[in-house]
Amino acid sequence: MERGGTISRDLLESVRDKIRQGLLPQWVFSDPDIYREELHKIFYRTWQFLGHESEIPQPGDFVTRWMVYDPVLLLRDTDGQVQAYLNSCTHRGSPLCVEDGGNKKTFTCPYHGWTFNTKGELIGVIAGNKVYGEEFDRSEWALRKIPRLEMVHGMIFGCLDPQAPPLLEFLGDLKWYWDILLGRTDHGVEVRGVPHRWVIRTNWKISSDNFGGDPYHTAMTHRSAVELGIAPKDPLYGSYGYQVVLDRGHGFIISTAPPGLQMPPYQGLPEVLWPEFERNLLPAQRSVFQKAVVMVGTCFPNLSWVSPMHGTGGPDEPLTTFINFRVWRPLAANRIEVWSWLMVDKDAPEDFKEASYRSYIGSFGPAGTLEQDDCEIWTRVVESSRGFMAQNKDVNYNNVLNYLMGLDRVKPVDDWPGPGVAYPTCFLDAISRSFYEHWAEMLLA
Amino acid sequence: MSRLTYGDVVQLLFHEAALLDRREYDAWLDLLDDSIVYRMPLRITRDPRSGPEIRDDMAFFEENKASLRTRVERLKTTSAWAELPPTRARHFISNILAEPVTDDGTLTVASSFLVLRSRRENADVEQIFGERRDVWRWNGERWRLFRRTIYPDQTTLSVMNLSMFL
Ligand code: FES
Ligand SMILES: [Fe+2]
Repeated sequence: MERGGTISRDLLESVRDKIRQGLLPQWVFSDPDIYREELHKIFYRTWQFLGHESEIPQPGDFVTRWMVYDPVLLLRDTDGQVQAYLNSCTHRGSPLCVEDGGNKKTFTCPYHGWTFNTKGELIGVIAGNKVYGEEFDRSEWALRKIPRLEMVHGMIFGCLDPQAPPLLEFLGDLKWYWDILLGRTDHGVEVRGVPHRWVIRTNWKISSDNFGGDPYHTAMTHRSAVELGIAPKDPLYGSYGYQVVLDRGHGFIISTAPPGLQMPPYQGLPEVLWPEFERNLLPAQRSVFQKAVVMVGTCFPNLSWVSPMHGTGGPDEPLTTFINFRVWRPLAANRIEVWSWLMVDKDAPEDFKEASYRSYIGSFGPAGTLEQDDCEIWTRVVESSRGFMAQNKDVNYNNVLNYLMGLDRVKPVDDWPGPGVAYPTCFLDAISRSFYEHWAEMLLA
Repeated sequence: MSRLTYGDVVQLLFHEAALLDRREYDAWLDLLDDSIVYRMPLRITRDPRSGPEIRDDMAFFEENKASLRTRVERLKTTSAWAELPPTRARHFISNILAEPVTDDGTLTVASSFLVLRSRRENADVEQIFGERRDVWRWNGERWRLFRRTIYPDQTTLSVMNLSMFL
């Protein structure tokens, strides 16, 4: 793929300066040149989520995944180690495995029949030494490993840049908050089933930023929930809580109950799990978790999560909760493929797991009533960002978008128990500004 | 009336499809048994020797009458943006294979579906297709949908949402 030539340093610096003033030039939502820059400067250099350990529990279990356009064969080898290979045969490049998942001890390429084991070793060559000679060294033709592979709380990440900092350094203080989401119980979380996958016409930054820093949209985008009596009428309902700005473009939002409204602690999670929270979380983590109603956010660049309290069907059903992670895989400047995983604490009671599953399907995934309206609006934003005026790079048409909320107005909380810079409201563009500033810095690097 | 000709079965399914295309959702809900199980599991691509493509442990729809009613009520609000302005969807139901009605008034029927959808001014058409396995029951007065399992043919959906019923 050609490197973009029309995005100059000066232009990127002007974009970064605008973001610092709370303004985002609209052209970045659908410009093909900046999209190519993003692939090279961001996606080929940062950690990308591949899947969860619980998706491949047994030796030989595999799933196929994508790191944007790089096909990945993610598996557990015969020694129980997680491995990730480029899913492309070393002989002539055919995809080695075209299944979404399964269990295999060997993978035979359908083109000429080279066979690899779960260690990536080339163990079978049709006609072998007869055609390649005695000096043929099979070890030179092993499967190509994804350069970096690391895990945290069973979350498997790959990185295409051999020089990238370790995963834990990349996550930084986000790890402290992910402990609450993913590491609160003795046996951690597990993925239920397989991820939802569907394609929508939007730009990856729009969805990442929406989950990362935009609870302001909930009152209007999800107003149907208010009309149905599922969500309260108070237009500030989504504002109660905290935005925590973290390094490297990450953010974590904890929404809390409105003043005066009593909500069950720990998102209403079953009480049998509470002793596990005590064992696995620090008191400071528990104090944050205890008052959380919704936890939502984005790990830069394109891994988001949401863990809300939501019903399982009718408006009279009790609220429950779930953990949903999603990758916004870029396909083009104006197209993404969504991968959405439901996760649940392994130690949770079965009836809770079932309620959690129904609650997720009702609200998120392609049939989810909240997700439907999100995707619809994100698609519209791209539709109206393609034209001459929106695309003008000198921003002569005031074609800058408003990220001013709380700029220089809202001050951080002094006594926040956790890491990062916490602000005492969710209606704020602090995380979004940090997300886009980091995005610009990476493009400039 | 618990005896059905093939024509009656076709009429039953086409009538239901017409209610959905015409957005007569309350009448559609009336066709559903109160204990309906309405689901749409996921499909994955895999070697048929290693197991079924359909994954019953995850679904696009996992509905009962109450949750379907909530979805219908949502469509009546003034802010269900995925359907506002309303999309235009056409349910093409074909390849109908009906089993003989049992003595207790149960009709088991499989059908193919193709739903084409137009959104706003877009000239591009969205589509989704697959198979439905239904069980309908005679309640003494009329036939009601008692079980529906929807099997999509795609693993990655090309529709941007499932705001329609299938
Ligand atoms: S491309 Fe795989 S064996 Fe030739
Ligand atoms: Fe939303």
